[in-house]
Amino acid sequence: MSLRRNKTLLLLLLTQAAATTETNADVLPGLSQLSDSIVRESVIAFVNTTVSPGLEGATLTVDDGSRLSDQWRSSLGFAAEYTINKHVFNGYWGLALVGGSLNDKVELVSDDGVPVQLDLTRDVVALRGSYGLSFPITEHFRLRPYLSLSVSDLRNEIRVDGLVSTTPVASPSTTVVFNTSAWMYSTTGSLDALYSRWFGENRLELSAHYNLIYTDAFSEDNPVLETTAWNDVLQLKSRYSGPTNMTSLGRKWRWMVYANHVNFLSQDKLSLGYTSLFEFGAGMEWRMNIKPFDWFGWQMLGLKAGVITSNDVEGYSVGLTAR
Amino acid sequence: MNIRLLLAACCFLAATACVRQPAFKGPNSAFLRSSYPIVELNGEGIDPAYRLDIPAGKTSAVIVYHTYRHDYNCTFAWIAEAGTVYEVTNQWNRYPLTLYRWERKNSLWASRLEPADPVDCKRQAAIKDAAAE
Repeated sequence: MSLRRNKTLLLLLLTQAAATTETNADVLPGLSQLSDSIVRESVIAFVNTTVSPGLEGATLTVDDGSRLSDQWRSSLGFAAEYTINKHVFNGYWGLALVGGSLNDKVELVSDDGVPVQLDLTRDVVALRGSYGLSFPITEHFRLRPYLSLSVSDLRNEIRVDGLVSTTPVASPSTTVVFNTSAWMYSTTGSLDALYSRWFGENRLELSAHYNLIYTDAFSEDNPVLETTAWNDVLQLKSRYSGPTNMTSLGRKWRWMVYANHVNFLSQDKLSLGYTSLFEFGAGMEWRMNIKPFDWFGWQMLGLKAGVITSNDVEGYSVGLTAR
Repeated sequence: MNIRLLLAACCFLAATACVRQPAFKGPNSAFLRSSYPIVELNGEGIDPAYRLDIPAGKTSAVIVYHTYRHDYNCTFAWIAEAGTVYEVTNQWNRYPLTLYRWERKNSLWASRLEPADPVDCKRQAAIKDAAAE
């Protein structure tokens, strides 16, 4: 038993050493099914589905038989428009601290036909800043182009069970564990189209958001993660709200229901097990209406809950909203 | 370390200097601030302004909200109280502009209270360079 542990440890060390100089096929010999490009796309997809502007907190579970994964994302941030005197357009800015995690269990088959269990854990923390302009075309419709820069600290732990080692060990099957990390720098160009209309005391809001994302990744311990990528994401959002009789601190509460769709247009389903999500939910919003730094308006503080669904993926979203 | 402390102190000072109560001209004055040009006060046309001292009492103001297709001349009427700040802004409410009572809460934020809709908003085709009036 002790001998096996020592040999496993030796294999682990060899693997980590290999990771510094070799490709993924060398890190995981006998698992050519897991190509470098798949690993890269998976990493980029995880970061994009966590950090992209416009995405809100969510917990997702993918279960398609051969894959079981849990993913969550959460953000603490704010975005607002502010008026610029003597111009028709407004300014727009946003700042957010974003975090997310993925635990992905995938069953693969090694090159010699042996089932292999791949257990990936990825964690990311990112800081995102956005700045742009908002053009009011009519009273009800405006276009908002803006640019976001984000820096993400990504940590991965990869565990492979059942891989037949090329290193001579006591057992033909063993466990390989290695840790990698990367810094991901993303530049996102966004275009939002926003529509709002009042029907008496009720308000309808519709919006479409397109993000074009360029990601540059740097890793000191895994050359496979040294990559660049272009991706795009489309989000469609709708919200309907109305008044209630409730007040707190002299401010009114409003109810709201919403339905959102997000489509990770360039994402391969193999990367995370899904490429699009539908979300439906409801919540309450409190019209706090303050003006921090006497600069921009902070109108609403809300609480919402929703369900998320799509092919092979289920999830939920519960959290605070601020706008 | 000293530089960090200095930067933190500068940030704190900058932040705490953000929200200031405007100075009133006299004991019977109020103050009107707007994100969009005020073009008429108490029935008289004025040069477009964004901040105005106004006399306390019955007040009317016309403020123009610009979009690329239309301009909206919104008329507000209210009783201005002495020593009070009022603010007009666009928050995508039922009308293009809303009048609030502005109140300094502390050095970090102000409150917008008692929202009031305009009496009416007249829409007209956008005038080129209207925003630069």
